[in-house]
Amino acid sequence: MNCFEFRRKMLASPGERIREQEQHVRACAACERLAKEMESFEDSIHDAVLVAVPDGLAARVLLRHKVRQPAPFGVWALAASLVLALGLALQFHGGFYEEENQTAPAIARGEHHAAVAAISYVLDYEPQLLEENRTGDPEEMRQALGQLGLKLPADAIAVRYLGKCPVVPDGTGEHIVLRTAAGQATLILVPRRPVGSREVITHRDRTAIVSPARAGGYILISDSQKTIRHIEKMLM
Amino acid sequence: MLFDSEKSKFETLVKAYSPELYRYAYWQCRDRFLAEDLVQETFTRAWQAWDKLRDDKAAKSWLYTILRHEHARLFERKRVEIDDGQELDDIVDTASSSAYDQIEMRDALKALSESYREPLLLQVLGGFSCAEIASMMAISEGAVMTRLTRARLALRKMPGLNAGRRMKAR
Repeated sequence: MNCFEFRRKMLASPGERIREQEQHVRACAACERLAKEMESFEDSIHDAVLVAVPDGLAARVLLRHKVRQPAPFGVWALAASLVLALGLALQFHGGFYEEENQTAPAIARGEHHAAVAAISYVLDYEPQLLEENRTGDPEEMRQALGQLGLKLPADAIAVRYLGKCPVVPDGTGEHIVLRTAAGQATLILVPRRPVGSREVITHRDRTAIVSPARAGGYILISDSQKTIRHIEKMLM
Repeated sequence: MLFDSEKSKFETLVKAYSPELYRYAYWQCRDRFLAEDLVQETFTRAWQAWDKLRDDKAAKSWLYTILRHEHARLFERKRVEIDDGQELDDIVDTASSSAYDQIEMRDALKALSESYREPLLLQVLGGFSCAEIASMMAISEGAVMTRLTRARLALRKMPGLNAGRRMKAR
């Protein structure tokens, strides 16, 4: 192997070095130098292409995959429910009004209601998400909170989980699990989408408030209405 | 039960390859959100065509090929606008080498023509051999070697690339 062949091989495929190349590099100081330089050059290419991968990517792929399989309480059903609910919300916004303290059971709204779907999602999938212990992008969360006119007081609320909510259409929702002195709650932010009028829903031992807020809305889910109201006041 | 074992195999593939497919998709479209969509769509199509995967060892190149096709389809439908401003601050992973060098190299990679960048990404990110890249891109192995050689020569000549300057100065 001559220097030209060696260099061509090194430039085309530096990782696959054949025996002839090894022999050549031992006999040629210039090519040996080039080989060393190429190693560091390859490292810099390798480092440069390793862009940061979004947190929870594989989990979201698997969730979306599950949604495409028929399952009575699969995420797809929940996502479809929320899409439908959010779509209908635009159409019927203001069409029905629920008293602030009046709680509707899920059966009165049906499983397609955004709050009912959100409760099912939290109960069925949140334990797994908490086990994975992933953290999403705090900046995106702050932006979403800002769009909805909400805030998270750092001294009173701890974020236990932050990630994208796959049941909100286009993956624009934020799923936040909050821990406070009053208890734990899940906050689903729905920026830039109407969520309809404010309602309190009970379903499967959980209570959820779905509420419009500036450009979009939010759904707050916990085990009691008292906890929800307490946490909601902190967010305002 | 068979379905369950296939599902488990699929989940293993998703966990193993979604990061590198995302990176490949990102360099194809240079848009973080689009890159994630491409990965999602790739796995959806992979599952739909699961029975066509005869050899588990070929799964990786199969997934890359699906992603390439999805990206091409996307470009057929609409011209994707690349927002160069969004990325560098957000995506620089400062864990390895200096962030400044990475930015220079990323600029240089972006400036490469797609026909040079694509085989280079398949080699560096996917770890594919020239023969495998040739098969995925449906071109000859010689053409792949030529493109890889030219890609690296072009990167070394890029103005502002420290590595290139250092190498040239010696």
